[in-house]
Amino acid sequence: MSSEITPHEAASALASIDDARLTMRRALRAHRGHFHLWIWGAAWIAMPLLVWQGGERAMRHFPWICLVGALLSAGVAWGQSRQVKIPINARFVCALLAVIAFGVLFPLVLGVRDARALFAYICLLAMQAYVVAGLWTDTYLLWLGLVVCGFILLGYFVFPEMFWPWMAACGGGSLILTGFYVRHFWR
Amino acid sequence: MPDIDEVIHQPVRLRIMAALCSLGPREQADFSYLKEKLALTDGNLGAHLRTLEAAGHVSVEKTFVDRRPKTYLAASTSGRKAFAAHVAALQQILNSSD
Repeated sequence: MSSEITPHEAASALASIDDARLTMRRALRAHRGHFHLWIWGAAWIAMPLLVWQGGERAMRHFPWICLVGALLSAGVAWGQSRQVKIPINARFVCALLAVIAFGVLFPLVLGVRDARALFAYICLLAMQAYVVAGLWTDTYLLWLGLVVCGFILLGYFVFPEMFWPWMAACGGGSLILTGFYVRHFWR
Repeated sequence: MPDIDEVIHQPVRLRIMAALCSLGPREQADFSYLKEKLALTDGNLGAHLRTLEAAGHVSVEKTFVDRRPKTYLAASTSGRKAFAAHVAALQQILNSSD
């Protein structure tokens, strides 16, 4: 059959392939996680800024902010799974949840009361999950987790007097900027 | 002689394969989603998918989500190989004319 295909037809077919690929890649970018990064980046900016402005009592709002974030994330994931289905490795998800569940227990046992230490710990725990997920799935999450871990440690040990705004800018800001990178350049 | 796949070469099927091969190896696209992205009708996409499925290039999974039927599509491993060979063949034809 190939003898019947002229170079002009071949060029036209290749252009059609490129067009379909481009269309699909643009559509798939909506599934690369940037919505989740924006949701949690906004939550991460809101939480330390609340403490910075309102004092440590504002930490009582954290569970509600996280609940809203979790509901929004779940809604986005549900909507996207109806378009492109990505198989979930249940064992990996359970392993990640176990890491987080034990991570929640540690400060209770150790009796950590300092707000700064507790917030830095929670953020490091979240970034631990990013790093593990990034190692497992070979995505940008590994580098994002490592970079933000560096920011958290820098803010906690080197800039303690400006810890809260630092965490908002470097933690939440990193997530939001990564969201834009993933939306426009990833894949 | 370049390895042209007659089943894949049809223009609509070519676009379907290009779109499905853009997905990750374990990802599946919803029928309606693919139809919308490629600007096809239900009947047109369904007919071409049956041809691609019969040739073993595409796998079709029918399931229920919220009690509604859903059809998920993916390029099979052999389909991905055949598509890559087809693209290489087209490239070869194009290069041979230079």
